[in-house]
Amino acid sequence: MYRALILIILVNIFSCLGHAKRPIVIGSKKFSESIIIAEMVSILLEEKYQTSVVRKFSLGGTKVAFDALKLGAIDIYPDYTGTGYVMILKMDGERDPQKVHQIVSREFKSRYGILWSKKIGFNNTYALAVRGDDQRFKNIDRLGQLSGIVESYQFASPHEFMERKDGFDRFSKTYNLNFQKDHILSIESGLMYAAIHNKQTDMIIAYSTDGRIKAYNLKIIKDDLNYFPPYQAALLANKKSTESFPEIMKAFSEFENLISENEMVEMNDQVDRFKKAPYDVARNFLIKKNLISGKIVNKTEESNLFKYFYSKKDYLLKLLLEHLLLSFGALGMALLVSIPIGISLTRHESLAKVVFPIINTIQTIPSLALLGFLIPIMGIGFAPALIALFLYSLLPIIRNTYSGIKGVDKNYIEVSKGIGLTGTQILLKVEIPLALPIILAGLRTAAVIVIGTATLAALIGAGGFGDPIFRGVATVNSNLILLGAIPSALLAIFTDKCIGQCEKIFVSKGIRLKN
Amino acid sequence: MVELFNTRKFMIKVEKLTKIFPGSGAKAVEDVSFTLEKGEIGCIIGTSGCGKTTTLKMINRLIEPTEGQIFVDENHSHTVDPISWRRKIGYVVQKAGLLPHMTVKQNISLLSTILEKDQSYITRRVRELMSIINLPYDEYQERYPSELSGGQQQRVGIARALMEDPPIMLMDEPFGALDPVTRNSLHSEFWDLNQKLHKTILIVTHDLTEAFKLGDLVILMDQGKIVQKGSKEDFLKRPANKFVEEFVKGEGLV
Ligand SMILES: Nc1ncnc2c1ncn2[C@@H]1O[C@H](COP(=O)(O)OP(=O)(O)O)[C@@H](O)[C@H]1O
Ligand SMILES: [Mg+2]
Repeated sequence: MYRALILIILVNIFSCLGHAKRPIVIGSKKFSESIIIAEMVSILLEEKYQTSVVRKFSLGGTKVAFDALKLGAIDIYPDYTGTGYVMILKMDGERDPQKVHQIVSREFKSRYGILWSKKIGFNNTYALAVRGDDQRFKNIDRLGQLSGIVESYQFASPHEFMERKDGFDRFSKTYNLNFQKDHILSIESGLMYAAIHNKQTDMIIAYSTDGRIKAYNLKIIKDDLNYFPPYQAALLANKKSTESFPEIMKAFSEFENLISENEMVEMNDQVDRFKKAPYDVARNFLIKKNLISGKIVNKTEESNLFKYFYSKKDYLLKLLLEHLLLSFGALGMALLVSIPIGISLTRHESLAKVVFPIINTIQTIPSLALLGFLIPIMGIGFAPALIALFLYSLLPIIRNTYSGIKGVDKNYIEVSKGIGLTGTQILLKVEIPLALPIILAGLRTAAVIVIGTATLAALIGAGGFGDPIFRGVATVNSNLILLGAIPSALLAIFTDKCIGQCEKIFVSKGIRLKN
Repeated sequence: MVELFNTRKFMIKVEKLTKIFPGSGAKAVEDVSFTLEKGEIGCIIGTSGCGKTTTLKMINRLIEPTEGQIFVDENHSHTVDPISWRRKIGYVVQKAGLLPHMTVKQNISLLSTILEKDQSYITRRVRELMSIINLPYDEYQERYPSELSGGQQQRVGIARALMEDPPIMLMDEPFGALDPVTRNSLHSEFWDLNQKLHKTILIVTHDLTEAFKLGDLVILMDQGKIVQKGSKEDFLKRPANKFVEEFVKGEGLV
């Protein structure tokens, strides 16, 4: 237990300092394909090049992963030429795969000091898909044929597609797709296929290498205007990392044309539908390609939830430690800061009028956005997650300390003053003890918020119970989701109860009697 | 200022005390002067809002007077810091003002705890005071104020003021919140008590019976000013004006 704790701390210190002897940090975005490729890179580096590797998978999107790479918080992650071309470089026009690859390689190197590997081999483009047996699309093969006739159809796409430059707005304009506003759904990509399969939507923006296109008998409508740029998969590395780790470029060269489209579809399917571990799928593939030696592993996941949890106990322990360190670290810091702030605000009303709007605003920033703001400043991982959680726990504690102390009956204060207590003595002996139930209630709120929000920390590579949740959502693996969800819910309940007990211990019986 | 050097020892002396609260034009207290000698009990009486509490709080320096002088135990208020000033004065407020999160013992010993007196002294003194106020120590010391009756709370409030044996006590309607029977018995207890303790005490009340029963000096106030001060005899036999006469009559004491 201590060893795991120390390891986590060390890893975080190392990734902050960028020390030469540190492990190579591999990132991925939060969908199966990205995780599988990232696993392959990790395994290859570990087994063939004997390097130690840290996995920061399931990062919360292109922006998070790219910023992390730029800052050196991760060394490598897989992405697609089209994403780099349109979303990051904000360019468009070119459709030739070779040329797009050349452009992103050149521009990323000069603008960001980031290197692209050669193409991995497969193209994973966006594609509009419908159910194969949906009679309404029987005679429709080209997107051009949908022009102006989709008013009554339900449409779903991954979140990222809604936001990108080559995403929904221009796509629907180009093909004149007249969806009604309330028929458009933005959804986790992992859940989208089940949604169309279960007829909750009629059209989705699928990823062309997703195994579920075939499995669910979906039909791809052809992009006849060549709207989508090529999305050749490749690996990205920070140039500085390749200088300190020459094995990165060696590994990159082994990925050139390593995976065909069919092979990728097959591997995605193994993970998404057959619940194989991405690690096993990636490793088996490398063995088959003779890049590493070893025995093919063909185990499906334990289906009994208890046995499954038991089999993951080491992983669970690591998650628990990460989650505890994050939540209680943030709460502890907040407690140290918020109580003095809350108290001093009761002494300086004019300051309160300035401070409360600020912390109220912080509280309203969506968690992911707050994490996003912090990435350019602090990179990814433990530190920005800790700061974000710290900021979230400020408000409930400051607010309750303030209102708790303000709410103390003025007569008690005057009487104490009249007896001869100093201001500090009144604060410590009268105001704080009387406000304690309210202060503890604030702490309780903060604790529940922080333990819940800490699951989002996984999106910026800080680990914790969010890690299996997001990977589970990405790979449609409900066991994996529960592996994170159940313990984090239990932890929240347990902490809530503990603070409730603290109230029994620390709050005077005299005021508990009164209420 | 000549009076300051009188041979008779005064314990509370106020001169031309005036208070105008910020933002209000009216004088809450105007030109109030009186003297209490050692062992005397003074009672300030008057209708609600006439400035009794304000006068008392000025003496305890909870309120800064706009004008006037205050002497306590022959010290001028300017020569002593307010914290030590208040620690020399026992202070009893309306409805006892016991701190709800502290036990009876903790409430009584609050000032001694602050002054870091040792535990054995504290326990001994609390026992002593609780026997004086007729609350058995073993039964009551661990109770919280919410577990006491109004009369018991009021006694604890008095014990708290006596804890560090101050020469002077200021009491703001100490028996105000009690039913007449309890009030009467507390009056008697209190009277007997002070025969032993010889404290100089200033009591604020709106009950003339109480003032006449306890007060060596009765001070009748109206609209911030003293209308008459003197003994019970003075009030009954030599009312200063019509107002005093009416006031005494209204209370049914004539
Ligand atoms: N803190 C304060 N600010 C402004 N006015 C006050 C304050 N305290 C008391 N007063 C006013 O001063 C007057 C005297 O009040 P007080 O001394 O409490 O009367 P009493 O104790 O005789 O009922 C009242 O008119 C009251 O409204
Ligand atoms: Mg009053």
